[in-house]
Amino acid sequence: MKKRLIAILLAGAMVMLSACGSSSDSADNGDSSTTTSDDSQEASQDSSADAEESAPASELVDGKFAETRHITVEVYDRGNDGGSDPTNNMYTEYIKKGMLQDHNVEVEFVKVPRWTEVDEINNLLAAGTAPDICVTYSYPTIQTYADMGGVLDLSGYVEDYKDDLPNLWNWLGETNIYWDKDPVNGTIWAIEGKLANSNRINTFVRQDWLDALGLQAPTTTEDFEAMLIAFQENADTLLGADADKLIPYSVSYDVGWRTATLIESFIDPDISDKEYYVNGFDDRKLTQNGTKEAVRLLNKWYNAGLMWDNFALYGSGDTTEDDMMKAGYVGAFTHNWDYPFRNGEDSINANLQRNIGEDAKFVAIDPFDDSKGTHTKYVSSTAGDRKIFFPTTNDEPLASMLYLDWISDPAHIEYLQIGDEGVTHNKLESGAIQTVAATGDAIMNSGMNIDYTITCNGLHLSTDELTELSMAYSYAGIDPELVQTANDIARTDAVPAKNVNVGAIDAEANIGDTLSAKRDQAYDNAVIAAESDFDSVWDSAIADYMNAGGQAIMDERAEKWTAIFGDTDMLP
Amino acid sequence: MKAKATTTKPAVAKQKFTRAYLKRYWQLYLLLALPLLYLLVFKYIPMVYIQIAFKKYSIVESVWEMPWAKNHGFEYFIQAFKSNDFRRALRNTIGLNLLDLVIGFPAPIIFALILNELCFKRFKKVVQTIAYMPHFLSWVIIYSLALQLFAPGEGLVNMLIERLGGTSIPFLNDAAHWVGTYIGVGVWQNFGWGSIVYLAAIAGINSELYEAASVDGAGRFRKMWHITLPGIKPTIVVLLIMNLGNILGSSFDRPFAFQNNLVMNVADVISTYVYRTGIKGLQFSLTTAVGLFQSVVGVFFLLTANWLSRKLGERGIW
Repeated sequence: MKKRLIAILLAGAMVMLSACGSSSDSADNGDSSTTTSDDSQEASQDSSADAEESAPASELVDGKFAETRHITVEVYDRGNDGGSDPTNNMYTEYIKKGMLQDHNVEVEFVKVPRWTEVDEINNLLAAGTAPDICVTYSYPTIQTYADMGGVLDLSGYVEDYKDDLPNLWNWLGETNIYWDKDPVNGTIWAIEGKLANSNRINTFVRQDWLDALGLQAPTTTEDFEAMLIAFQENADTLLGADADKLIPYSVSYDVGWRTATLIESFIDPDISDKEYYVNGFDDRKLTQNGTKEAVRLLNKWYNAGLMWDNFALYGSGDTTEDDMMKAGYVGAFTHNWDYPFRNGEDSINANLQRNIGEDAKFVAIDPFDDSKGTHTKYVSSTAGDRKIFFPTTNDEPLASMLYLDWISDPAHIEYLQIGDEGVTHNKLESGAIQTVAATGDAIMNSGMNIDYTITCNGLHLSTDELTELSMAYSYAGIDPELVQTANDIARTDAVPAKNVNVGAIDAEANIGDTLSAKRDQAYDNAVIAAESDFDSVWDSAIADYMNAGGQAIMDERAEKWTAIFGDTDMLP
Repeated sequence: MKAKATTTKPAVAKQKFTRAYLKRYWQLYLLLALPLLYLLVFKYIPMVYIQIAFKKYSIVESVWEMPWAKNHGFEYFIQAFKSNDFRRALRNTIGLNLLDLVIGFPAPIIFALILNELCFKRFKKVVQTIAYMPHFLSWVIIYSLALQLFAPGEGLVNMLIERLGGTSIPFLNDAAHWVGTYIGVGVWQNFGWGSIVYLAAIAGINSELYEAASVDGAGRFRKMWHITLPGIKPTIVVLLIMNLGNILGSSFDRPFAFQNNLVMNVADVISTYVYRTGIKGLQFSLTTAVGLFQSVVGVFFLLTANWLSRKLGERGIW
């Protein structure tokens, strides 16, 4: 009896399973039928577009579609503690309402985890479910998709609908829209969002330590080294019982980023555009002329005990180093230009004040001088930051372009960046906008909502004066003077990146991650090598990098430079 | 399979027998259907995509439509073997797995033998349970423990060594030391769990054999050597074969958690290489080729080991 019962149960399970199998089949069929219906829809749209095309050029009336259209837009999910749902909060409501009103387009946000965005977009593209408007920081990724036929060419849309996209053209201009235009066949796979603030990297030092030892802020590399040694020798004065925890100069595994201004000071200030471009695939400047000597200096510091000895053991996103800064063990470090001011109550400087005392703070300095005595910093141009592209599954390219236009409207950017007065910002007497820490629904998941203002990264208010005035007040709880100093230093001798567009470099496809990993290994191993081994460690690491594809990239870059610009070494 | 091979002469009788058998035990066969279906759906159907190794991968086309790769489809195999990184990963995979085998394989056997000799039952149970525990920790957690203990400067062990007047040991940031740490931690994590099978096998040995040996005056080591070890020999051989089949395979989380930029020369194995170049670098064809190569060599090792063990008079795994 029991046996029979089990058998029946099992048979039942089997039937269910096979039903599942067949239902998945039928679901597939369903899919195909929906795609066909999609096609027919598209066809009908096309035909209606055709019909209208015979009359005016555009299917828009007063910038609006006759029928409501629907688009999906990628938004980063940063998973912040206490943040709001990035696809549904007061800012998304603002955008959705505005788009519906102005263009009769329904907007739906699709969240993509910030730190694994490339993998995620990859999956979505493969599944044919990528959002209509995608954003990424990685151009090689877009190039890869484009090579596989997965990306729409935007050149036609930006041209044909130019009159419908005034804000986009005003805000991005030809520079950013044509940045990635292929010089040979004219395709545009991606539009470059604008970097409103191109400040890049600063070096910071503990002001209270300088004061305690009677030191001036260093302005040359020798002074900087002397300062590190002074920190080391006076560890007992500075940290007392914790003296053995003192780290004069702290870096992370990403040495190329975290000592960028030092490395840049070893590059010939008169380097030609061609040389800089040909050697410049790696954005950490591994293969630039002069980098080796910079790393030799780091190696010397490391062996003298002036640097954190475990830097290479902690990976991306690890907070150990930040915690040491917050605990007050670190004397100096190089990082993003505003790093110790970020994150409001949890900023490094706020923590220092809580843990050590009112005087404890990191201030920006400008210590690394190059062979000319200037403090050259290679910064981004207005482009080269976030890239916007449409996958081929986007069947609403015009509605998507209108979205880009809407989100580039200065008024919309301003509202998204500063929110409501009294909730997320206050107006000061000078007119400056002061950011205040918001609560509840008004919390911004990304600083200044940059995840929504996809065509604008960095503070950009209605006028440049207002932006300038408000910049120093845009860090909740931080002395505006510190921010101002950091801002000034970050702009001293800044050299904006130039656009060398010689078309796609085939050797760069698919190799980026491999080379970045090798780059980090080269830097890390060279820094910790014994001083006598430094040359051999560095040279073999560079040889490995070159073999793995670095050399091929350089050769192709040089070749294509010559093909486009001829014999000249400088950009026109 | 066997039935088919032998159905030459008494085919009719056999068939009748099979049918009767099926009729009587159909419930049991039904029971088997579920796991078979699982294998089919999750292990066999995905094999369709092996062809990616021989094709130029495209994200938008179906696998049947992708164009064949150059060099008669072997472009990516050639590319892999030309790549220093792949050769390095291959060398490291084999090296680390061999070390794991040489050091990690005997450990649970020895542990089981020792545990079996304990006469105080409660103590035995406690030791056994404690030894199992690490198996349930993920490698990410084990690595953070290792970092807390072994980091130079800040690690507990190194602080102790320095306080006692020694110099700190670069457990994690020097290639040779790293290999030692990697293997050691691997043994630590697995020997308790691995010993379960051997303890079960030991429990199955007829206790009269031990009594007889005692009567003949055999001591503990004699009994271990002549009764326990031969008793669990088939189990050892089966596990050894399975381990050999895995000589080119490697788990992903253990090396990935443990590696850092300073030791990549010895720490990069095939699985992490595939992850980095294939998934992060979008070179799916190349890494499918690598994966296929890995599997084929794995099967070869498995078959060879099985054949060898049968030659040597053991049972093999099929």
